[in-house]
Amino acid sequence: MTLSKTIRGALAGVAVGAALSMAAVPALAQKTIALGYQAPLTGEMSQYGEVFRNSATMAVEQFNKSGKLPGATVVLKFEDSKNDAKEGVNIAKKFVDDPEIVGVLGDFSSTVSMAAAQVYAQAGLPQLSQTASHPDYVKISEWQFRNITTQAYEGPFVAKWALGEGKKKIAVIAIQNDWGQSVVSNFKDAVEKGGGQVTSVEFYNPGNRDFRTILTKVAREKPDAIYLGMFDEDGASLLQQRRQLNVQIPTYATSSLYSPKLITLAGPSSDGLKLSTTFASDSPEPVVKAYVDEYQARYKAVPTMFAAQAYDATNIMLAAIAKVGPTVDRKSLRDALAQTAGFPGVTGETTFDPQTREPTKTLARMEIKGGQFALVK
Amino acid sequence: MSKRILPLVVALTVLVLVPALLQASGSGYLFRVSITAMIFAILAASLNFITGVAGLLSLGHAAFYGIGAYAAALLATQHGVPFLLTIPLAGVAAAIGGVLVALPTMRLVSIYFAVATLGTGEIIHGTLLNWVDFTRGPMGIPAIPSFKVFGLDLSGNLGSYLVVAVVMLASLWVLHRLTHSYYGNALRALREDDQCADSMGIDVVRLKGEVFAIACFFAGVAGALWAHTTGYISPNDFRFGESILVLAMIVVGGLGSLPGAVIGAVLLIVLPEALRPVGDVRMIVVGCVMFFSILLLPKGLFGEVSALNLVRSSFGGGWKAGSARQSIGWR
Repeated sequence: MTLSKTIRGALAGVAVGAALSMAAVPALAQKTIALGYQAPLTGEMSQYGEVFRNSATMAVEQFNKSGKLPGATVVLKFEDSKNDAKEGVNIAKKFVDDPEIVGVLGDFSSTVSMAAAQVYAQAGLPQLSQTASHPDYVKISEWQFRNITTQAYEGPFVAKWALGEGKKKIAVIAIQNDWGQSVVSNFKDAVEKGGGQVTSVEFYNPGNRDFRTILTKVAREKPDAIYLGMFDEDGASLLQQRRQLNVQIPTYATSSLYSPKLITLAGPSSDGLKLSTTFASDSPEPVVKAYVDEYQARYKAVPTMFAAQAYDATNIMLAAIAKVGPTVDRKSLRDALAQTAGFPGVTGETTFDPQTREPTKTLARMEIKGGQFALVK
Repeated sequence: MSKRILPLVVALTVLVLVPALLQASGSGYLFRVSITAMIFAILAASLNFITGVAGLLSLGHAAFYGIGAYAAALLATQHGVPFLLTIPLAGVAAAIGGVLVALPTMRLVSIYFAVATLGTGEIIHGTLLNWVDFTRGPMGIPAIPSFKVFGLDLSGNLGSYLVVAVVMLASLWVLHRLTHSYYGNALRALREDDQCADSMGIDVVRLKGEVFAIACFFAGVAGALWAHTTGYISPNDFRFGESILVLAMIVVGGLGSLPGAVIGAVLLIVLPEALRPVGDVRMIVVGCVMFFSILLLPKGLFGEVSALNLVRSSFGGGWKAGSARQSIGWR
């Protein structure tokens, strides 16, 4: 009897001790909440993945220091997709397997984002892409979000601007991909609705750098303006060739050309280009200034618009995590993301439509003057 | 008896041992990597049939893979055709494409043939990209249904794995029977000296057409598997880079060697994933592995001669003759 009593007492002591130590552990240790980030960190698109990683790392470090989420630390887990759908899907499966991960950022291109989205939709893991602009992307499931102005919003914005400046006949040149298709259809509809006319639409295949034929063809129709839907390297080639051919038609462009690299590559031939943008690195707004200053101090470069979009995407995710608290899981994070409204980011105020999950953002007008991007008031 | 054991071991490994281990690990990621590796094993084995066995250097193989993927995706999404039909139909569509490419390029040899296939690969990619009304162009095809048949849901990790594994084993078996036979000998004769083969009574032009049709059929099958397991395809998945990746697989594995093609495919799919912890330099490591494997093992990881000997001795491919009981010829 005494022996068993002693054992029982000892066991009770151990149990109490264990309970005490277990109670003590959560109070001391920080819970870890992980976000997956899939992006092209190597390969031909790695310059984009690089700036995403810079911005996201910065955002998460600031967030952990801010103490907005007591009792938990957020960590980022990066995986390189090489802009390859095969790898993107593998990464998606890997992130789904990881119980620490409550949400995913990325991928860069719509192709890879949408292939990975099939996995996230099936497994129920919220995915927020900073750049996927394919019209069908957010329609895949209720788990997909994005932080990029779609052409449904940007097309009419530039169309109104051009028509307001008396440009009635406009030619469109765009890249032949999902995004280029949506650039053309949205802009064309808006111009025609506004009483203007689209004289011609020219698509070029990705990788093409010779626009002389297209420019000559377009110039022959004598439009009042040209509208460009393309990225910085293509845009720089086109603008240089436009100058060589002495085509002096005023040119408008989508926000995708907002990059310091455009001016570096195109030189004086970029002067006079008008474009819309959600982010201006020389904006006087304090939130933008703080971001640009810290980014420059850390990475010795001016952040591009894509860098800013990744910064905002990460912060939108973090704000949703903070809203739910340390107990956040995949479902509650999704619901919190869907309620994002009036988020004050560096790319303007962002609101997700609760039904379609499409973002709306405020756009600004810019013009290149003397080798500088300048805000058009 | 022993000659029949190895095929059984291979089948049991692929259909029982590996899925059991994957299921025990509970990792969807490992399942996915295995599925991708098996799809590329089919692709590599089919390119090996053209380039390794028949000696026709093709640089446009990804295009036929793409035709298969698009055929399966369009049939499944627009006409609701079940996957049991889309997979063979995708193969047929790619085979027709292959024959159409083979016909005008029949008289070309060596590097001229390679450049011609490079051109046709780009033409097919350009068609997928720019024929917007039919292929949806750069928008790609979303919401491709997974494997479901007769109310049986095979869309889970294990189900998808088994479907792909069975299709892969069947494809490899057909390619094995074609390669390791007198038909295969005729193809190897074509590779070594087509004029000599012609003078021996081998119909070189017909043989080239057949090789292309058969190999492109299996490339199309691989494309259909990719479309069904991924759920979204776009022309970006079938660029020139994929053709080169498959070519690298068969060269690293061993030109002309069927087991080599499979080993090369598994290596070049699994290695980049296994090296993820290394970080940004992982593709440099992959490049080094390829470089040194070619430098040190120019015949490949599993060369053609070893492959033929293995098939003769352990797969019952050859006759036993002579005092040394050597395997010769083909059954």
